[in-house]
Amino acid sequence: MKRTPSVVLLVALVPALAGAGDAGDGYRAVPGGDFRSSVRFEETTRQVRVAPFSMMSRPVSNAQFAAFVQRQPQWRRDRVPAVFASPGYLGHWATADAPGDGLDPEAPVVHVTWHAADAYCREQQARLPTFVEWEYAAAADATRRDARADPRWRMQLVNDGTPHAMDAAPGAPANAYGLHGLHGAHWEWSEDFASLLGDGDRRGQQDGDSLRYCGATALAFNDPGDYGVVKRFVLLSALQPGATLGNLGFRCARSTP
Amino acid sequence: MKFVSFFLSAALAFAGAAQAQSQALPGDSVYHLQASTRDAAGQPVPWPSLRGQPRVVSMFYGNCHLMCPLIIENAKSLQKQLSPRERAKLGIAMVSLDPARDTPAAMREVAQRHRVPDGWQFLIPSDNDVRAIASVLDVRYRFREDGSINHTSVLVLLDADGRIRARSEVAGAAADPQFLIQIKALLAES
Repeated sequence: MKRTPSVVLLVALVPALAGAGDAGDGYRAVPGGDFRSSVRFEETTRQVRVAPFSMMSRPVSNAQFAAFVQRQPQWRRDRVPAVFASPGYLGHWATADAPGDGLDPEAPVVHVTWHAADAYCREQQARLPTFVEWEYAAAADATRRDARADPRWRMQLVNDGTPHAMDAAPGAPANAYGLHGLHGAHWEWSEDFASLLGDGDRRGQQDGDSLRYCGATALAFNDPGDYGVVKRFVLLSALQPGATLGNLGFRCARSTP
Repeated sequence: MKFVSFFLSAALAFAGAAQAQSQALPGDSVYHLQASTRDAAGQPVPWPSLRGQPRVVSMFYGNCHLMCPLIIENAKSLQKQLSPRERAKLGIAMVSLDPARDTPAAMREVAQRHRVPDGWQFLIPSDNDVRAIASVLDVRYRFREDGSINHTSVLVLLDADGRIRARSEVAGAAADPQFLIQIKALLAES
């Protein structure tokens, strides 16, 4: 009975939240475009074309993931097959099916593996965003779609993935696409984390390792000063899909048909 | 009569439970993944249906002219060093990284071009299942702008239940002797 007012409030808020570019399902449209990624693979061209897509305006929350685990109990931490998980999977939750009172239900879910994130998005008829989609969306600040030329804004990205991140502040505004938290206290999985073949420590050594990959890898950064992207890239490329971290969550994306 | 049938059904239920237990997939089996593929004949092959036989699995793509022929030659060379008995026990599955271009016809063409022995499976995953299969096999790949794919060239040895037992990074057409020993050891178990 006590809950009624908050339910009413929530219902009243929903139309207000469904603003421009929001289909009402929490996804925001991101128009495509040509983009100069800060990461350079072997290709000589620096522009990449990003197709239009939509992305969840916020990372998947504890509450959302708890509802998923209830719908698909094979993703409970006590039932998940070892092939998809590691001992840390949802280890911070109070119980196998709920985060418990000690955690903010609206906070991003963390300690999730790539497999679990992939399964969550599939259930939503969605997918994880690619690295370049994330980078493209995260190039925006509150008013500009590409704020990367602004040194003051860029300096703040050093704090990405830490509690001091700019989007971790209470009331931090959405970016120009209506997306929240891309530069928050949490990192986020990308669909193609495992395609980030960066292996810089070993490249050039005559140990035959270059043959591990079809074609030589020559990872470089177009812009090593893009700290947020470089940090994120290095982190994700070092992860195994069954790994979890206390500051790594995810959000889903959809290709625009 | 009722009494007897009660015992009979209880005994049957017990036998059924025991059988189900022996059939439970181990937690670290890659066959927990509910991915779908089709073979070079275009027939659907659910990924979990590969369970039941030890296999060497690799990921490749048809339009690859450097490493992928080496992967195939390497697996052929492994197979040649097995006894006929061993050969009959071991499945070989090549899984495409490029379902958009690797049609069943293209896979048949690859098999023919490389004179691949009968019994090899060429599997084409559903579009959105490639990354998931690659993830459980720890194969890393990335499409390049020119349509080629950077990818880990590796043969993965799976036991009949889909547990990864060994890996062999492909660096040439010749089989890795250590990997061959691991295959023979696994086949001797069953």
